[in-house]
Amino acid sequence: MANETVATGQRTQLKMTVNGKPVDVEIESREMLLDVVRDRLGLTGAKRSCDLQVCGVCTLLVDGIPVSSCCTLAYEADGKSVETVEGLARFGDLHPIQQSFIDKGALQCGFCTSGMMLATKALLAENPHPTVDEIKHGLAGNICRCTGYWNIIEAVEESARRLATENGGGE
Amino acid sequence: MTSNTESSYTTIGHDVPRVDARAKATGAVIYAGDMKLPGMLYGRILRSPYAHARIKRIDTKLAKALPGVHTVLIGEDVLDINPYYGHAIKDRPLIAIDKVRFVGEPVVAVAAESPAIADEALTLIDVDYEELPLAVTLDAALADGAPRLHITELLKSGLFHGLGEMKPQPGNVCYHHAFARGDSDDLFASADIVVEGDYIFPAIFQYAMEPHTTIAQWGANMDEIHIWSSCQHPFLVRAEIADLFGLPVGSVRISVPYLGGGFGSKSYTKMEPITTALARKAKRPVRIANSVDEAMVTTRRHGMKAWMRTAARSDGTLLAREVRAWFDTGAYADNGPRVVATGADAAPGPYRWQAVKVDAWGVYTNTSPAGSYRAFGATHLQWCGESQVDEIGRQCGLDAIQMREKNLLTPGEYVRPGGKPLDADLIGDIRLVAKNLGWDTPKPANVGRGVSVGLLAAGAHPVSTAFARMEADGHVTLYVSSTEVGQGARTVFSQIVAEELGMSVDHVKVIGGDTQITPYDRSTGASRSTTLAGLAVQRAARELRAQVLEIAARVFDLPETAFDIREGQVWHEGESKSFPELIRVHFGMVGGELMGRGEVRPEKGSGSYAEGPVFWEVCIGGIEIEVDRETGKLTIRKAASVADVGRALNPRMVEAQEMGGIMQGLGNAIYEEMIYDDTGQLINSTLFDYHIPTFEDLPDAFASTIVENEDGPGPYGAKGIGEGSLAGATAAVVTALADLGITINELPVTPERVWRAMNRTTD
Amino acid sequence: MLDHLTIHEPKSVMEASSLLTEFGSDAAIYAGGTELLVVMKERLIHFPHLINIKTIPGLDSISLDGDSISIGALATHRAIERSALVREHLPLLAELEANVANVRVRSTGTIGGNLCFAEPHSDPATLLMAWDASVVLQSSNSRREIPLSEFFTGLLETSRGQDEVLTAVRIPHPVPVGSAYERFKIHERPTATVAVTLSLSGDMVTGARIVVGSVCDRPVRIRAAEESLIGLSTVRAAEVAAAIVHDEIDPTEDNFESTDYKRHLARVLTTRAIAIATARASGGHRG
Repeated sequence: MANETVATGQRTQLKMTVNGKPVDVEIESREMLLDVVRDRLGLTGAKRSCDLQVCGVCTLLVDGIPVSSCCTLAYEADGKSVETVEGLARFGDLHPIQQSFIDKGALQCGFCTSGMMLATKALLAENPHPTVDEIKHGLAGNICRCTGYWNIIEAVEESARRLATENGGGE
Repeated sequence: MTSNTESSYTTIGHDVPRVDARAKATGAVIYAGDMKLPGMLYGRILRSPYAHARIKRIDTKLAKALPGVHTVLIGEDVLDINPYYGHAIKDRPLIAIDKVRFVGEPVVAVAAESPAIADEALTLIDVDYEELPLAVTLDAALADGAPRLHITELLKSGLFHGLGEMKPQPGNVCYHHAFARGDSDDLFASADIVVEGDYIFPAIFQYAMEPHTTIAQWGANMDEIHIWSSCQHPFLVRAEIADLFGLPVGSVRISVPYLGGGFGSKSYTKMEPITTALARKAKRPVRIANSVDEAMVTTRRHGMKAWMRTAARSDGTLLAREVRAWFDTGAYADNGPRVVATGADAAPGPYRWQAVKVDAWGVYTNTSPAGSYRAFGATHLQWCGESQVDEIGRQCGLDAIQMREKNLLTPGEYVRPGGKPLDADLIGDIRLVAKNLGWDTPKPANVGRGVSVGLLAAGAHPVSTAFARMEADGHVTLYVSSTEVGQGARTVFSQIVAEELGMSVDHVKVIGGDTQITPYDRSTGASRSTTLAGLAVQRAARELRAQVLEIAARVFDLPETAFDIREGQVWHEGESKSFPELIRVHFGMVGGELMGRGEVRPEKGSGSYAEGPVFWEVCIGGIEIEVDRETGKLTIRKAASVADVGRALNPRMVEAQEMGGIMQGLGNAIYEEMIYDDTGQLINSTLFDYHIPTFEDLPDAFASTIVENEDGPGPYGAKGIGEGSLAGATAAVVTALADLGITINELPVTPERVWRAMNRTTD
Repeated sequence: MLDHLTIHEPKSVMEASSLLTEFGSDAAIYAGGTELLVVMKERLIHFPHLINIKTIPGLDSISLDGDSISIGALATHRAIERSALVREHLPLLAELEANVANVRVRSTGTIGGNLCFAEPHSDPATLLMAWDASVVLQSSNSRREIPLSEFFTGLLETSRGQDEVLTAVRIPHPVPVGSAYERFKIHERPTATVAVTLSLSGDMVTGARIVVGSVCDRPVRIRAAEESLIGLSTVRAAEVAAAIVHDEIDPTEDNFESTDYKRHLARVLTTRAIAIATARASGGHRG
């Protein structure tokens, strides 16, 4: 190349943390984060459905921000912290969001669930006590074809209550 | 949600948490797309860009030469078998042979070391087509001289459809279902009121979040097949695969992981034949996973057009109904015939007619094949008939509830001759829906209320089996082939076993469908799992219970009636023995198991479609809408429903089916429509242009009631649920609009259609 | 899977511009990728060279410089929604950004990417154009600023030169108090959007901007409607302007809504937006 700009080449090194653990893999620059997480790391909780960032089943948190991992180059996770559903439980204890989804019947086939819970985690991190309208708006990008959504709203409200109690009122 | 009876059972009737909830909430559940077999190849399919064409030449040379490409499959490779399948009509080649009949039909399948290489291989394949004249729409397919998709005279019946003899039909008709009784001509001629209309219902995509995914692997001697597939009916798929590849059914094993939704989109055989054929040539396991746009050309709901008229007296008594309906089944029949039959049955609605005349046809068109989708038939026609009932009511001064109180059938009356009489209190149900909707409260301006009630012939064919195995530690392993699609079947079955054996749900383990291990169940669909598979489970558990009591009787030297079973123990007056203790006595050692078997089969006759249904599912709904008079946009203020389930084994899961069904019903009514251009190409094949309801489309309020009249044939008086709320919601949206004076005869009721209807009215 | 590609990491706009020149049509500017990666996945186009401008410092800042507010091209929809400055001075824009697409697109997609991709249904351009916003385009040897109304040249087309990088959007400050934005959305992207600004003297209109978006191949200012309002009483403004909007626009034909209906929506939204803008202009609420 004529200039000295850094470029990845068709392959590049990806160093990130996933659920708190360091990961160092060589990837193709064209690979999406969803495929690296599912196929390379075996974390199959995140799913592929619409593949065009509309449905949300591929939602992952990158530095706490929800992204459509089907349309996010894995390269973007370099130097960042990625959370998947497999990282929600802590030392075998379910995360309050997971427990709330179970208790409120907020899942049926389960295919949208990991994305839905991660989206919930991001929502509650910046709005610990959302109204029903705020929940609907925050999760509008996560589609569920089974539940009809009401139980999910209740699960998010329950999650907010549990997290507030846990954190003594704020995170 | 409220129920009208308190549960006197230990687990039945209680909101037992889903047994698979933790696995799903931790990402531990394996779906077919999460599986990796050693040596597995990734399959991708090259699909036809033309809706009707002859294949002249396929050049796969460059694709085969691409490093990492292992196998390429074309039609020629499957001419050693009879490659045609179809459970109703064997009209479908597992891969295109000489012709393609819809845009998206598989023409070439490639298996490669990675999905990326398979994708690249597709771009290197060259196919020459000779385009043929098209029949993309119902009208085009039915027109005189229309190009024929099939030589229907040469088609053979499929292995199972339950519809009796399937006679070849003319032109592009694939199936005709008709019935009539009474003298409708006479009644129409003399009626005070006749309402008539033409109706259009769109093609709709089921959109289960998980697209179809199938893995196939042949045994080393090429005489056994193992398939893992996202399929709802593993035994029916097994039979078709065995038939296609000439193997005994026991040599074909279908294992079903959890499904990411079904709704009928994974009913019957879908991607299994082509995956199996590719794996046969590759001699390695192959996985094919549809993308969503591929799933949209794999299955869909039938589009339909219908003509209907209803005759009545001026006092609101319904007299007669005539219906003609044409269902667009696409290029291959799939479940078309049953959809047509069920639609025909649903068309009259649950009313007391003096005469009925129904003709329904399934028609081949050059579009993707249509198959099952939740509440098929009822969703197609209930909105038409209910609109006409309401219109008659308006003409004679009766409101929607009064019309229905006057004309609805009551339990025991015949819905159709020779079939099962009505088994639900519909008048009670409609009154409850009205109450839940706030029927008598004042309505603000621009707000309309509508209700709707119909029936769906449910249960499919009543054959189910279950094995209940009591392990040496007293726990029970349950073998039943219902597919867990999200509906909670495994949870309900666990509850039944726990109830019958007086034990904890936590000590019951359900083994998922695997045709080599779990016994025959006809299918998962038609709202039949709790009612029929659940009945088999109950019988299996009762057989286990009988064995346990028989052992206890010997041990205690008392009659079997002297005992009580609870907490995993057998009790007699304060003394008890645990299940493991009884088993130890029975076998004289630690270890050993008891096995109970439960079977369900037709109680009289052959269980055919005509003799049934197993039960009538109540399709009922109430909707309150507000319309923006300037733009035609609708807001759903309230959705009301009634779950007439006989007995709610798990009330919260019943309610969950209601809510999910309502949202799909709103989708079918307001947002969803597959749009084809005149070359047969599906235009809106992504979620950018096909709207699935989201959180922001929720009704503002939701009110639902469970009705438990113990009038079902299932365990504890249960009957199935899951579909009625969809058909009921779709129809109630239309009747609510009519309440506002907005008549629309074409779904979905997009804002533009509402706007045009409003302008027609004011013109 | 996409075809192979290389991701370049320029540290300055000059470097980015040189790379664009070097690789020509094989290169695309890559920021959030929310539009770019989707069209590449759909196989409509492929770029073997992605010029990742997120590695250029300073392109995401939002600042008030005297008589204009500058929003860096790399500001995400989410950042704009949350910016204290935007909330204070451009609350309508904050509200608009809060409703773009979904939360994941908002977290990743940038205003620069949105404007350069020029998707005809996208929101922000409609409002920004009504505020007479301009875009700053830089290359290795040039810098120019052009009004948004001259930036969109056709369907998915802008006047950005092949070697230019859009670095900022500038909005004249303060924006008219009488600003309003109305949107009609039933699909994933809006079907119709209208942005209106009104300046009043008493109940007489002294200035107006009317922009219709999502209906045609790009957002359009309806100058005839704007001119019709000057000197007109607010009582008649909505009716007069909306009728002109209805007749003037040339909606794109598609398979979802008819052009008649789109015209109708534009008229309805214009009427509503003018009513709201009037109320704000009279009542002194910030637009």
